[in-house]
Amino acid sequence: MRPTEFAYHRAETIEHALALLAEHGEDGRPISGGQSLVPMMNLRLARPAHLVDVNHLDMARIEEDADTIRIGALVRHETYLTHPLIARHLPAMLEAVHWIGHPTIRRNGSIGGSLCHADPTAELAAMAVLHDARIVLASTGGRREVAAVDFLKGAYVTDVQPGELLVEVIFPKPTGPHVGTFDEVGERLGDFAIGSFGVRLEHDGTRVRRLATVCGGARMVPIRMTELEAGAAGQPLSALDPVAFGQKVTAMVSPSGDFRASAEYRRNLIGELASRTLQRARDQAMGMK
Amino acid sequence: MKPENPRHLGARIQRLEDPRLLSGRARYIDDIRPNNCLHLKFVRSQVAHAKLLEVDTSMVEDMFPGTIVFTGKDTGALSMKAHQDYPEMQYAEQPLLATDRVRFVGEPIAAVLAEDAYQAEDAAEMVFPDFDFLPVIATMEQAQDPALPPLFDGWKSNVWVERQMAGGDLAAARAGAAHVIRRTYRNQRQTGVPMEGRGVIAEYDQSMRVLTVWSSTQMPHLVRTYIAEELGLPESRIRVIAPDVGGGFGVKGQVFGEEVLLAWCAMKTGRPVKWIEDRRENLLASIHARDHLHTLEAYVSAEGRLLGLWADITVDVGAYSTYPFTAAGDPGMAAKVMPGPYDFQAYEATFRGLASNKCPLGTYRGVARPSAVFSQERLMDDIAREIGMDPIEFRLKNIIREFPYRNVLGFTYDPGSYEESLLRMRDLLQDDIAAAKASRTDPKTRIGVGVACFIEQTAHGTPDFTRRRVPIETGYVAARIEMMPDGEVLIDLGLQSHGQGMETTMAQVAADALGVTPDRVFVRHGDTSAPYSVGTWGSRGGPLGGGAVHVAATEIGTKLKLIAANLLQASPEHVELADNRAFLRDRPETGVDIGYVARSALRNIDRLPEGMSPGLAAEASVDGPKDGTYSNAVHAAVVEIDVPTGKMKIRRFVVVEDCGTIINPLVVDGQVRGGVVQGIGSALCEHFVYDEEGQPLTTSFADYLMPQAPEMPMIEVHHIETPTPLTPLGAKGLGEGGAIGPPAALANAVTNALDFEVRETPLTASAIWHMAQDAKGV
Ligand SMILES: Cc1cc2nc3c(=O)[nH]c(=O)nc-3n(C[C@H](O)[C@H](O)[C@H](O)COP(=O)(O)OP(=O)(O)OC[C@H]3O[C@@H](n4cnc5c(N)ncnc54)[C@H](O)[C@@H]3O)c2cc1C
Repeated sequence: MRPTEFAYHRAETIEHALALLAEHGEDGRPISGGQSLVPMMNLRLARPAHLVDVNHLDMARIEEDADTIRIGALVRHETYLTHPLIARHLPAMLEAVHWIGHPTIRRNGSIGGSLCHADPTAELAAMAVLHDARIVLASTGGRREVAAVDFLKGAYVTDVQPGELLVEVIFPKPTGPHVGTFDEVGERLGDFAIGSFGVRLEHDGTRVRRLATVCGGARMVPIRMTELEAGAAGQPLSALDPVAFGQKVTAMVSPSGDFRASAEYRRNLIGELASRTLQRARDQAMGMK
Repeated sequence: MKPENPRHLGARIQRLEDPRLLSGRARYIDDIRPNNCLHLKFVRSQVAHAKLLEVDTSMVEDMFPGTIVFTGKDTGALSMKAHQDYPEMQYAEQPLLATDRVRFVGEPIAAVLAEDAYQAEDAAEMVFPDFDFLPVIATMEQAQDPALPPLFDGWKSNVWVERQMAGGDLAAARAGAAHVIRRTYRNQRQTGVPMEGRGVIAEYDQSMRVLTVWSSTQMPHLVRTYIAEELGLPESRIRVIAPDVGGGFGVKGQVFGEEVLLAWCAMKTGRPVKWIEDRRENLLASIHARDHLHTLEAYVSAEGRLLGLWADITVDVGAYSTYPFTAAGDPGMAAKVMPGPYDFQAYEATFRGLASNKCPLGTYRGVARPSAVFSQERLMDDIAREIGMDPIEFRLKNIIREFPYRNVLGFTYDPGSYEESLLRMRDLLQDDIAAAKASRTDPKTRIGVGVACFIEQTAHGTPDFTRRRVPIETGYVAARIEMMPDGEVLIDLGLQSHGQGMETTMAQVAADALGVTPDRVFVRHGDTSAPYSVGTWGSRGGPLGGGAVHVAATEIGTKLKLIAANLLQASPEHVELADNRAFLRDRPETGVDIGYVARSALRNIDRLPEGMSPGLAAEASVDGPKDGTYSNAVHAAVVEIDVPTGKMKIRRFVVVEDCGTIINPLVVDGQVRGGVVQGIGSALCEHFVYDEEGQPLTTSFADYLMPQAPEMPMIEVHHIETPTPLTPLGAKGLGEGGAIGPPAALANAVTNALDFEVRETPLTASAIWHMAQDAKGV
């Protein structure tokens, strides 16, 4: 459990980091919080010859403009817990972040690292998908934006190319009144989830304007239940039926089972969490809590 | 028996070793850094079962010149031999490095020695074993399938051993039974996880012909004995030191091939050699535990009296037999302890240990008893459910009340508080039992209460090992004590303290006999320079180690009194030793400092009584009583289940325990709580999983789930003290008990909550959800 030999480079600016990453190509790897990369290196599952330390770059801010919240790649998970912009615009994220690991992990781990690591049930990946976030990637060749659903390609597989750096994640602001909820079940507190579900509900006080969902643990990447979302749009809030919704989700997902949890359990669990998160979102929207 | 009017024995004092341990000043194996040391990395098998055709090391020589690689060709016939002398037992050895066959993923194939640990790890990747794959035995069914070839040449089957134990007339019990209740219970395979893994350093001094081995072990003397025998060295020229050991839990209570191999490497290379186990090796290839399958059949009278018990016990023991408790250890122990704390006189058990392509089973806190108690106590609940009795009532009806009690296998139980502890527990649970009943109709949240009542044979000694015919020849624990001229005390204790707090408890015991305060007693342990003892395991340290310290210290105390009497011009019966003084019982102000007395014995010996020889040292050993001494306890769990998700929360965990004389209640509480947490791990999450190819799936802490602080309830510990007449202090063993009860108590609580019989562990959310689905009325 010792890493293979590597060279360490401390990048001072984004340009510097991009130049280092361009120079080392496939052999180079950014490191931010190190919470996922270092264990992978110790297990020799990752063997970067050059580590580019991006922790000193100017991309640790949460900023707002008219339509979006922009979260810098280095923002640490714990930041969201006390940040007013998150509470106001991305309430589901506030709930989701509580479930990430332990205090030390949340202190060190970054959104750039979490998204690029792409664990199938990572909460921040789920949040990016739920909110239709766009991922900004930079390289010496310039910048490009990728939608979260296209960015996450599979378990631990993303659209990041050698030489690229994730610099920020753009979350569109919800328009009008909205609520958001998230729930998950893992074997122990801080474990990656067996199943999770998140809901974002935009409404006008009586009707659903827009429902967005995200489901973790059903596939190797977080998925949206687009059919159910479409069906809810325009419905009266009071017509939302959490139990029926959960049952539909159970019927629609087909996770695989392993020694930890059977496929049948996972399907039902995801449905149950869907039902619970929708119920809470609906009740909040209707001013019941 | 318990000494009269103790001052320090029984006192709730903080552990004297804690300042060192808690401030990062302990010295663990990896903190020892000999000069000019070679670092060893093992190349371990990545396949479960194969012929080993060749080990290609040529790349290492090319890429890492100077690196040394040893394979089975070099170590040849050197091996681990652990045979229990049963006629039915099949014999097999594990070579220190695989020679012609590998039998589990993790088995050592080669040792790579380099100038630093990183280089050793890099070079180890360049060793390429060539295999010819063999069919894998990955399940109990496969191990018992006569069509599959045995793991060892010359074997008849893949059964290490199959034997019977019996007592009384089972046919009569069956014939007289109104109820016959048969159930099968299963505990998963797990491993034991000390925070610090294993590690060994060996150094051979050629001029003195002395081999020194530092090992993170619970049994330095046995390591010395085994190395001496295997490498043909005199024991006088081997010293084994166990420095601070960061947890053992029985895992480090075996002699490992790695220890012998490091010694061999040091002699071969003439340089110190160091190996520090990494976590993956620790999970994969130290020892595994549990993996029991029991079928029980109980014969019960119409009035709810247990008349007899039939048991069939199968344990997957893995690829090799471990030293010194062997492949027969776990299954034999389960069969032996299954009768438990209940009064019945007909029993028949068959036990077998199966060979498979998995890591060998060894001893882990509780050793077979967590599994035996799981089955026994699940069965008690299932019987109660079936005959319509309250589970605690049913137990009370059958619990042993009169002592000494001769059990169905002929073991004699010394006095305990079986009934009293159960009654105490029932009182403590009243509100929870009511809450559980009230939740019975709730479709979403269910509360359940479960108890587990058990006894634990502790303080095993020579008679027990002789009876079991294990490779250990002896079971005594010894201590040598010396008082210095200033009244300070030095104890060389044959045991090793790795969390048991012996630097405190042994000091308390000695302090009473010597009239000093415990802070003046320095307890050295974990070094073969101390008198021979087979190690710290099996809940023997308190009763036997404490006993040896008491006997030796009392001998010195008697001499101190004689000297003090002479100094004070009084008769020795009137002298008392306490508070670092020797004084007259009736006139406490007349006395001398204990150091003055000691000085008279060691330096100013002109002050000694006529004819007395100088010196204040004594050595004593205490062996285990014939059948050991039996601790007892009741554990109870109160759980809350979120039925739709299967998530379970432990609301309360209560222990009522009786370990005889308590040396230090704080230490007892700590031992019990730590054990309970491990027992909760066994019940809920610790699971070492192999796939059908014998490939391990849980080789890091991301997949092998340990119990964590956020899930732990407050653990309440209540004490009852029934001293035993069989040990010098009246103490019984208590180190393991905490880990024994939780699987049964938790499974009974889930059974109660869901009204559904739990048959196996681990109780994961998925497993609980499935049970709730299968249960009626949930
Ligand atoms: C015990 C434990 C429990 C955990 N539990 C959870 C959990 O419940 N939920 C959860 O979501 N996570 C969990 N994590 C993971 C944690 O959230 C990590 O912080 C996160 O996955 C990675 O973030 P990091 O900043 O540490 O990235 P690093 O480990 O530094 O890097 C991770 C990967 O991202 C790449 N990378 C990093 N920054 C950039 C960048 N700016 N551009 C391009 N590539 C980049 C690295 O090269 C590497 O491949 C857990 C981790 C541990 C150790």
